Amino acid sequence: MIDCPEAVRRMWAYLGAALEPAPTSELEVHLSVCKRCCGELEFSRELRGLVAATTTPVMPEELRSRVEHLLGIGPPESPTDD
Amino acid sequence: MDIPIEDREYSGPAHRLPLDDALSGPFDVIEELSTLMIDAAEGTNQTTGAAGITSTTARRPFADVARNNLDRLYGYCVHLSGDRMDAEDLLQDTLIRAMRAYDGLRDQAAVKTWLFTVATNCARDRWRARGREPGTVPLDASDADEFSLFATIAIEDPFPYSDALHLDFLRLFEDEDIQAVFTTMTPAFCGPILLTTIHGFSCKEAAGILEIPLGTLLSRLHRGRKQLERGLWEYAVRRHLVTVSEEP
Repeated sequence: MIDCPEAVRRMWAYLGAALEPAPTSELEVHLSVCKRCCGELEFSRELRGLVAATTTPVMPEELRSRVEHLLGIGPPESPTDD
Repeated sequence: MDIPIEDREYSGPAHRLPLDDALSGPFDVIEELSTLMIDAAEGTNQTTGAAGITSTTARRPFADVARNNLDRLYGYCVHLSGDRMDAEDLLQDTLIRAMRAYDGLRDQAAVKTWLFTVATNCARDRWRARGREPGTVPLDASDADEFSLFATIAIEDPFPYSDALHLDFLRLFEDEDIQAVFTTMTPAFCGPILLTTIHGFSCKEAAGILEIPLGTLLSRLHRGRKQLERGLWEYAVRRHLVTVSEEP
């Protein structure tokens, strides 16, 4: 059976459901007998949720309009005029 | 089956375009971007009009693709650079490089992943230009590996009257606080966290974006999480958000 440090090491990937089946079941076996790691997993889930819910910074309107104007370019406004 | 814990040196992106001009300033960058947009628009017309060389799936114009991903790309740029002005330049670098390489993109379905890859490479080049080496991993990282925020909160008991210590601790943090902690992290460890949580990529996709093997990604994700845990605790102590017996 995997030990506690190894179980902790696999938790974030586990919460992201990205592990192969074998490591997942090994972790689950460990969790079934280790109360401390269950607490650690719960906390990991909360912490991961907190980070995931972090809203990305809002783009300044000035930058958005500058970039969007260029991306949505229609008639060329003589950008190489100098 | 064990997850490899050893980390590897970053071996460099598969392809890279010289972009010295993009570092000269935001206005030059914007000007070049607009020139590129026109070139591309003309190029597209010629291709479809004359030879009719188009892929089997309809190819969306780069402008549409970029516009659809602008907000999340900007957010990623801010988190990577930790500074609004830097993020602006990084976003513009990213759009220019993506614009140049867009015609070579085979898999249209993977366009979001691809844009994040371009942004990651641009950020890496900008760090390099300033003498930072984001691909390297500090050797003393094993120390951070031992830190457990879960255990620290339980031992330090920062809220003596709380029966939900751990949740109370996490509730201390607003978005700006978490952002501030991100900027204290090693880029090689922060990237995996950002991509797999905020931006919703799978570990496999994140490994592709960062151009590292999946095993390395998983290892860095864990070390990033440990660094994040330590960063949150130190931030809380420094800002006197928690009362502790003695400062570390």
